[in-house]
Amino acid sequence: MRILTFGWDYPPMRNGGLGVACHGLTEELNSEGIEVIFVLPRKQTTIGNNQFLFADFAHNAPRSVYRVDSVLVPYQSAHSFIEMFLADGTRVRFSRTILEEVCRYADAAYAIAQTENFDLIHAHDWTSYLAGQKAKLASGKPLVLHVHATSFDQAASEFVDPYVYEIERRAFNDADSIVAISNYTRNIIVNRYNINPEKIEVVHNGIKPQEVKLFAPALAELKAQGKKIVFYHGRITIQKGVDYFIRAARKVVDHDPNIIFVISGWGDMEHEIMHLVGALGLSKNVIFAGALWEDERDRMYQSADLLVMPSVSEPFGLVPLEAIQQGTPALISKQSGVAEVLTHVLKVDFWDIDEMANKIIAVLRYETMNKQLVQEGQKEVLKLTWNRAARKVIDLYYKLLALFRREI
Amino acid sequence: MLTVCPYFHVHQPHRIKRYSIFDIGHDNEYFNASDDTDLNNGKILRKVAEKSYLPTTAILYELLNQHPEFRFSLSFSGTVLDQFELYAPEVLVAFQKLVATGRVEILADTYYHSLAFFYSRPEFERQVAHHQKKIFDLFGVKPKVFRNTELSYTNDLAVWCEENGYLGIMAEGWDPVLGWRSPNYVYQPKGCSRIKVLLKNYKLSDDIAFRFGNQGWGSWPLDVSTYAKWIHAHHGDGHTINLFMDFETFGEHQWEDTGIFDFLRALPSALLQHGDTSFKTPTETILSYPSVGEIDVPHILTWADTDRDLTAWTGNDIQKDAIASIYRMEDEVMKTKNSDLIEIWRRLQTSDHFYYMCTKWSNDGDVHAYFSPYESPYDAYIAFMNAMSDLQLRVTEMLREEEVFKPPKPKGLWVRFVAWIMRLLGRLPFIKRRLGAQPS
Repeated sequence: MRILTFGWDYPPMRNGGLGVACHGLTEELNSEGIEVIFVLPRKQTTIGNNQFLFADFAHNAPRSVYRVDSVLVPYQSAHSFIEMFLADGTRVRFSRTILEEVCRYADAAYAIAQTENFDLIHAHDWTSYLAGQKAKLASGKPLVLHVHATSFDQAASEFVDPYVYEIERRAFNDADSIVAISNYTRNIIVNRYNINPEKIEVVHNGIKPQEVKLFAPALAELKAQGKKIVFYHGRITIQKGVDYFIRAARKVVDHDPNIIFVISGWGDMEHEIMHLVGALGLSKNVIFAGALWEDERDRMYQSADLLVMPSVSEPFGLVPLEAIQQGTPALISKQSGVAEVLTHVLKVDFWDIDEMANKIIAVLRYETMNKQLVQEGQKEVLKLTWNRAARKVIDLYYKLLALFRREI
Repeated sequence: MLTVCPYFHVHQPHRIKRYSIFDIGHDNEYFNASDDTDLNNGKILRKVAEKSYLPTTAILYELLNQHPEFRFSLSFSGTVLDQFELYAPEVLVAFQKLVATGRVEILADTYYHSLAFFYSRPEFERQVAHHQKKIFDLFGVKPKVFRNTELSYTNDLAVWCEENGYLGIMAEGWDPVLGWRSPNYVYQPKGCSRIKVLLKNYKLSDDIAFRFGNQGWGSWPLDVSTYAKWIHAHHGDGHTINLFMDFETFGEHQWEDTGIFDFLRALPSALLQHGDTSFKTPTETILSYPSVGEIDVPHILTWADTDRDLTAWTGNDIQKDAIASIYRMEDEVMKTKNSDLIEIWRRLQTSDHFYYMCTKWSNDGDVHAYFSPYESPYDAYIAFMNAMSDLQLRVTEMLREEEVFKPPKPKGLWVRFVAWIMRLLGRLPFIKRRLGAQPS
């Protein structure tokens, strides 16, 4: 079976979860004998042995992997400029808006679908939906949309970007099947976009088992003073609930001034959060670490006593899984997809800052629980493989193909 | 002759509310959730009274009146009796009416539905004595047969029962213990010479308690005549069929719409139809039949899930931590001699608290096998540990206060001994005079 897949980026680019998820799934589809032609909008470096097509090259260009500096694009509103990070972490802005890019991508997809040979189309997230629909138009092959996030997650409210919403709504209606990465996301698709729930399949993301590299502890001096470290890692946007986290921190510090909060990430709420920290008088207890990546991030995971993911709306949430892999327990918001597959984490409603503070202190205070959360959590994380996700997706492929053949 | 020995266990814990870290030192009430959650003890008790206790006691009373042969036994935790008095006194009256017939036996138990036997023998004995007094006060009877929390049992417990004058004890009729033998006879516990053990026929018990309303079960819907046939099939191959289950089976675990009440109503007559079948209480069963062999249980046996051990209560680290922490407080709590603090400490020993922290189900994905009013086992642990921290604070404070107000004592043991001798010597002439003055 050959699948024409549309994505937006791919490792080694440093992105949020989307590229990582595409990579994890594609590798396991390959190992289960599924051929994947992965289309990306721009030339970039890729990892692994899968075959890639880059839409910004003339389609008849020789198929090969081009080595250029890679870039990163977060899930943003349609008219925001594309903001990217080079491999060394420097920030770059492009002059085109995402919407323009998305349309260009869709046009290229039409041409690709006319010449390539494949059985089924699979498109990841809204920036690829138009490409997927065009490819379906060109080929008449069934279309699967993979929903890693919706505009409601990004807006964390009712006020979604109307352009993105419209693209999503039309694509969901047009698709032959939809993969949601959690029941949480499935419910949004059903309730906010009025989509028939029977059309939606839930396939939870996986995480690659990782050999843990041990680092010398970060913030060793603070730890030597008996301070405990609570870690946040992620974008600093309204979706991520960092403001609730800071308000909970105020309550925690009132109870125990020896608790330090470390924030790693960037985002459009950065300044607002810094002001909030100042206004609440928390400057001594909150450290802004900038965006930590790779080894630095893992080192911080290892040094922390607890990771908190306070998201207002989180379709899945890879960060707590990474933290647990690195030996740190996690407190996560119930408004997240990952909460559906984890038992050995602490869970809280993102708005319940009293309970958030209660649980932060509890996990630092009751060591037995802290240890059990890690030990049992690590066993649980091992079960969340990409292979399990790939098998579910393959079942869906076969189901769709059988349905399509019958209709023809 | 085949006799049936039904036994129903009645229990509700004092559930701990969502007691936060920030409540420690400020809020002395741990069990008073007044919200709409399942942590609201009054709400739960009234609900179960409506659904189970009241209708079931009414049916049982009817059955006792209809069939002079009908008898059964009950066990109550002290915690449920306290809550009846508080929230639903009419339920207590209904149970008293049953016991007053003289054909309903009450079993001995720990007051707080605790696992104290395995953690503190003195505390266990105090709780059994407390329970005995409560049962006598409410029902005017003294239990003669013992059952321990969750039907937990070991050779040691049986020996304790023998030494303390009981006639017998209840246990699970679990195949690995019995081997080829049948649970439908009376046995003697290892290390005992007088008492006997009654073993639960878990298959026939669980047909009612667990499977009755399960539409996926091969025998669903279970007809009372079919069930009577299963029991009658044991004629010639047993003396007693011991049907042990939660009282809440009727109406709460198995809802009314499963037909459980009609089943119960029809059961005695269906069983009595076979001329040679009757009912016996545990005491009658023990006195009627000789022991046919020895039962050896060196490790703890319970009636819980497929492991039949205590792993649902003490299987993971947070459970072990919580239960060890509560018993570690014993000396200090008892030293306060403060009945409020001791009462709260004991309520925290109820096994349900530890059960709510169970994570076994997450391994086999059987989420529904374990009921808990908390959203997660960790929420249960946090509420428990926070409440216990507050109790510890109060205990420490009380002991410190006592220390402050105590009259100063001579310091060394020797100094005190010498002072005592001197006092005695000083009184000697007086004592002599008194003795001499007494008329003989």
